[in-house]
Amino acid sequence: MSRGRRAWASAALALSACLCGPRGWAQIPAEPEGVVEQLPARPAPHWVWVNDMAFFAFPDGKAFLVDGDSGRMLGMLSTGYSFTSVLIPRTGAVIYAPEIYFSRGTRGTRSDVVTIYDATRLEPVGEIEIPPKRASLMPMPGAQALTDDDRFLLIYNFTPSQSVTVVDTHSRKFVGEIETAGCALVYPTGPRSFFSICGDGALLETTLTDAGTLARRERTAELIDVLKDPLSEKGVRRGDTWLFASFEGVLHPLRATGAGVEAQPTWPLFTPQELAQHWRTGGLQHLAVHGASGRLFAVVHQGGPGTHKDPGEQVWVYDLASHKRMQTITTRNKIGSIQVSQDSQPLLFGCSIDSNRLDIYDATSGKYLRTVESLGLTPTVLVLP
Amino acid sequence: MTARVPYAGNPLDAFVERMTRDLARRVSRRSFLGNVGALLFTTGVPLLPVARGAAPTAARPEAAADPGDPQTCEYWRHCAIDGFLCACCGGSIQSCPPGTEASAITWVGTCHNPADGHDYIVSYNDCCGKSQCGRCLCNRNEGDKPLYMPFKSNDYNWCAGSKVGIAYHCSTARVVGVAK
Repeated sequence: MSRGRRAWASAALALSACLCGPRGWAQIPAEPEGVVEQLPARPAPHWVWVNDMAFFAFPDGKAFLVDGDSGRMLGMLSTGYSFTSVLIPRTGAVIYAPEIYFSRGTRGTRSDVVTIYDATRLEPVGEIEIPPKRASLMPMPGAQALTDDDRFLLIYNFTPSQSVTVVDTHSRKFVGEIETAGCALVYPTGPRSFFSICGDGALLETTLTDAGTLARRERTAELIDVLKDPLSEKGVRRGDTWLFASFEGVLHPLRATGAGVEAQPTWPLFTPQELAQHWRTGGLQHLAVHGASGRLFAVVHQGGPGTHKDPGEQVWVYDLASHKRMQTITTRNKIGSIQVSQDSQPLLFGCSIDSNRLDIYDATSGKYLRTVESLGLTPTVLVLP
Repeated sequence: MTARVPYAGNPLDAFVERMTRDLARRVSRRSFLGNVGALLFTTGVPLLPVARGAAPTAARPEAAADPGDPQTCEYWRHCAIDGFLCACCGGSIQSCPPGTEASAITWVGTCHNPADGHDYIVSYNDCCGKSQCGRCLCNRNEGDKPLYMPFKSNDYNWCAGSKVGIAYHCSTARVVGVAK
C-alpha cells in the first residue's frame, strides 16, 4: 500500500473509532454525587398516596406517592407498625403520619407518635408524642382525621376502651384525650366538631374549644338500625354531608347543620332486581365522591350477605342529585379501595389489599389508562395530597 | 330534628375500666385469672363470650362431630375470622403457638356446624407478642359488623387487650357455647 493510501486508511479507521467505538462522541459525562430528588412545592392534581399496612410485615408500614398521569412512583414514607394512613392538610406543606414503634421491633416499649414530614423532601421535620392507644385496625377512612381548618388532628383510640386523641398542629403538641365510650371513629363536621358512630346506632357529636379540649358532647337518637342493616363505617364526605352505604346497599346521607348532624332521606343504590341478583357494595374504601360534579363512585360485586368486604370488578357511578346510576365502569382487576381526584378531568384510582398494584382510569369516560405495579405488600387506603 | 341528650359517657364502662386498671396495677395477670376463675366457678356467674379468652383449653372433639381441616379457611368455625390461622402456626384452633400470649378479649362469630346442625358461638382470640405468622391467611365475614360494634368486628387487632401489646401473630377459633 502506498504511503498516501495508508494515510487515508488510517484516517478512515480513526473516524470510524470515533463514531462507532466505545469511546466515541456519545460518551456519558461524569455525574454529580449524592443527588437527592425533591418534589415541587405544590402537589399535582393527579397525585395519590397509596397507604400500605404491610400486613405480612406489620412493623414496616409505608406510604407511596404516585403520579397518576405518568404512572411513576415519586417517593415513599416509612411509617411504622400497624400503619393506617397519611393525613394531608390543605396547605400541602407537610404530611402527618400517626405511627407506632416498639423499642425491640415487635416487643419492648411501645411509642406512639405523629410524625411530621416535609412534603417536598419527604423527610421527618417534627414528631409529636401521643398516648400509646391508637387503634390497631384494618385501615379505613374514619380512623383519623383533620378538623376542617386543619388545626387539630383527631385519632381514634381502642385499648379496648374507646377515646379520641387530639393533637394541636399549630403548637405541635398533644392536647388531650376525649372519651367516646361505646362510640367509634372520627368524622369531622367543621373546624371544631366531629361525630363518632355508636354501637346502638346513635351518633356521638363532639365539639372542641379553640384550645382543642372538650366543649360539648351530645348523643343523637338511634339513627341506624345496626341489627337489621348496619352502615358500613367507610363513609365519604361531600361538603357538609357524609355519605354511608348500608350492608344492603342503602345510601344514608348524614348532614352537619348548626344544630348538629341530621339524617337526610335515604335512597337505594340497587333496584330490587339488582338486590335479588345479589349486588352489594364491598371493599375497604368502597366509596369515593367527585365533589364538583356530584358523582358518587361505589365498588360493587355480586355476593349477597356477609360479603361486605369483598372486592369488586365494577364501579357504579351515581348522580347524587337524581340518585340515578349514570355509568358502569368495569375494572381490569378486582379492587376494594377507590379514590377520585377532584379536578375537572378526574382520574379514578383503584387498588386491592389482595395485590399490590394500583389501577388508574379516566373517571369521566371510565377508560382504563394504566397500572402501577409493586406498591408495597397490602395497599389499603388511597389519599389525595 | 333529631332528639339529643347530653353525653356523659357510659358509667358502667367507666366503672369497670377504673376497676380493671386498678386491679391490673396491683395483681399479676396469672393470679388474677386464677382468682376470678375460681370465683366465677363457685358462684356460677355466667361469662360473656368475649371474656373467655383465658379459659383453659380442652381436647378437640372427635373429628366426626367437628368436621373439616382447621388449617383451611373453609373450616366451619372460621366463618367470621380475619387473620392467620394458629393451627398453621404451631398452635391449634383453641391454643396459641409457643411463646405467644392469648388475648383475653376478642370478637365472636356465630358459625354453623354441619355435623350436628347447631350454631355455635366462636371466640376468635388473637395470639400476640410476635410478628405475623404469615401462614394460612383467612378472611370470612359471616355476621361480621362494623368497627362501631367492636365485639362483633373482625377488623380490630384484638392484641390491644393483651399484656404484651399489639404485636399480632395469629387467630384461634374456640367454641364457647351453642348459640340459642
